[in-house]
Amino acid sequence: MTCQEAKEYLILAEYSELSFEEEERLESHLAVCSSCQAERERTRKLAALAAEGEAGLPAGLLPRCRRELAAALVQERRLECRPWHGFWRRWVVHPPLWLRPVGALAMVAAGFFAARWLPLPSGLSPAAGLTAAEPPAVSTRVRLVNSEAGGRVRLLLEETKQRELSGGLDDDEIRRLLLAAAADPADPGLRVESIDLLKSRTSDDEVRKALLDALRKDPNSGVRLKALEGLRPYARDPETRRVLASVLLHDDNPGVRTQAIDLLVQSKEPDVAGVLQELIRREENAYIRSLSQKALGEMKASVGTF
Amino acid sequence: MDDAALIRAAQAGSGDAFEQLVGAYDQGVLRLALNLLRSPEDARDVYQEAFLRVYRNLHTFRFDCSFHTWLYRIVTNLCLDHLRKRKVRKMEPSTVETGDGTVDRLDNVAEQRAHADPQRALLSSELRDKIQDALSQMTDRERMVFEMRHYQGMRLRAIGEVLGTTEEAAKNCLFRATQKMRTALGAYL
Repeated sequence: MTCQEAKEYLILAEYSELSFEEEERLESHLAVCSSCQAERERTRKLAALAAEGEAGLPAGLLPRCRRELAAALVQERRLECRPWHGFWRRWVVHPPLWLRPVGALAMVAAGFFAARWLPLPSGLSPAAGLTAAEPPAVSTRVRLVNSEAGGRVRLLLEETKQRELSGGLDDDEIRRLLLAAAADPADPGLRVESIDLLKSRTSDDEVRKALLDALRKDPNSGVRLKALEGLRPYARDPETRRVLASVLLHDDNPGVRTQAIDLLVQSKEPDVAGVLQELIRREENAYIRSLSQKALGEMKASVGTF
Repeated sequence: MDDAALIRAAQAGSGDAFEQLVGAYDQGVLRLALNLLRSPEDARDVYQEAFLRVYRNLHTFRFDCSFHTWLYRIVTNLCLDHLRKRKVRKMEPSTVETGDGTVDRLDNVAEQRAHADPQRALLSSELRDKIQDALSQMTDRERMVFEMRHYQGMRLRAIGEVLGTTEEAAKNCLFRATQKMRTALGAYL
């Protein structure tokens, strides 16, 4: 065995990936080669050092993941209880092999006939042709495909109608729709943009409540940060302070916690000292701990509780 | 109950069996995702998506491979998707600008070692930076092989099965990854 081969074997030996014969050959070489013996020590040390790079699980992350998964599974099971779900899964999501070409043909047929029979968007005639810039007023999606006797095909279409609405934030309907979009679980980008627009109307109780809900519950830290921005003028409001204190102690994002502490200490209310003392006791982030200490110092409060 | 019995029970619709399966594997899954993605938020996403996929597709599992291999194949594919997406959108920076300075998102990843001794903590922090540098020098595939072999203790054959490649290819990846790690940590050896 050459030293180059031995070097490669040493890595595998460290991970116990050598066969009996390979290990024997390596040991025979090591017995007569002092430089490879030194190399073995270095390889062992490298493995031990690399172990330092393993990221530890943050406290509370696994229980949080389990809770969220349990909630998602409840949702999933609820969907399964719907009468069409079994049919949908069996015939559409995982259809039998023989049905797949039939389904493909059915979709082509659906596209062909839909193009012929569905009305074109207003203002367009077939002669004029469709312009890509104009979005369709109705989007159609085939949700179910079923073959019937005599070569007929039955389709279930889902049609979503699009409507454009414009107006100011003082318009009740605009504000109602933005509040709904701010809680849309499917699209965090939409939630951020909606809250960004709504944050100029925090004098409205409903808007402020939506921002507090987003700050407390939204799974996306970008949305929570945006809600914090909007709540800045209400740093003295008791309800806002209660939520900020809870966020400070429980939010898993250090950026959000940093912003929350910034807001909470704007007014040196006595209730904040207890929260900051508790924060120092449990906070893992050194920067946030130092912010709490600084704020307590300015309030002439002690860092610990007695 | 062993894995096979749990899987059969879960396939027959037992929620308890599915929860036991999750409990048996979820810590390893979360640890792998966190090590590969270095972001607790992304690791949470991968954890949930992986187990939801398992739930939705468990009826298609035919025992052609071990459940562990099947699950880790799902997890590594999801992690690869996340890493690719990061490259496309250049990913959000690992630090957040706040009113009072810059906060590192990874600061809330628990540091389990070197709490008491400041000198050791400093050394440990420098070392972790070097290791992070080395990991970022690796290709996604090299990193996966290294993480699975080094931190998860998986055999190269199992890693090959998870990544849909041969044991030999996994071995070559491990060599390259180890060489990169060695170059980065040269001063400590």
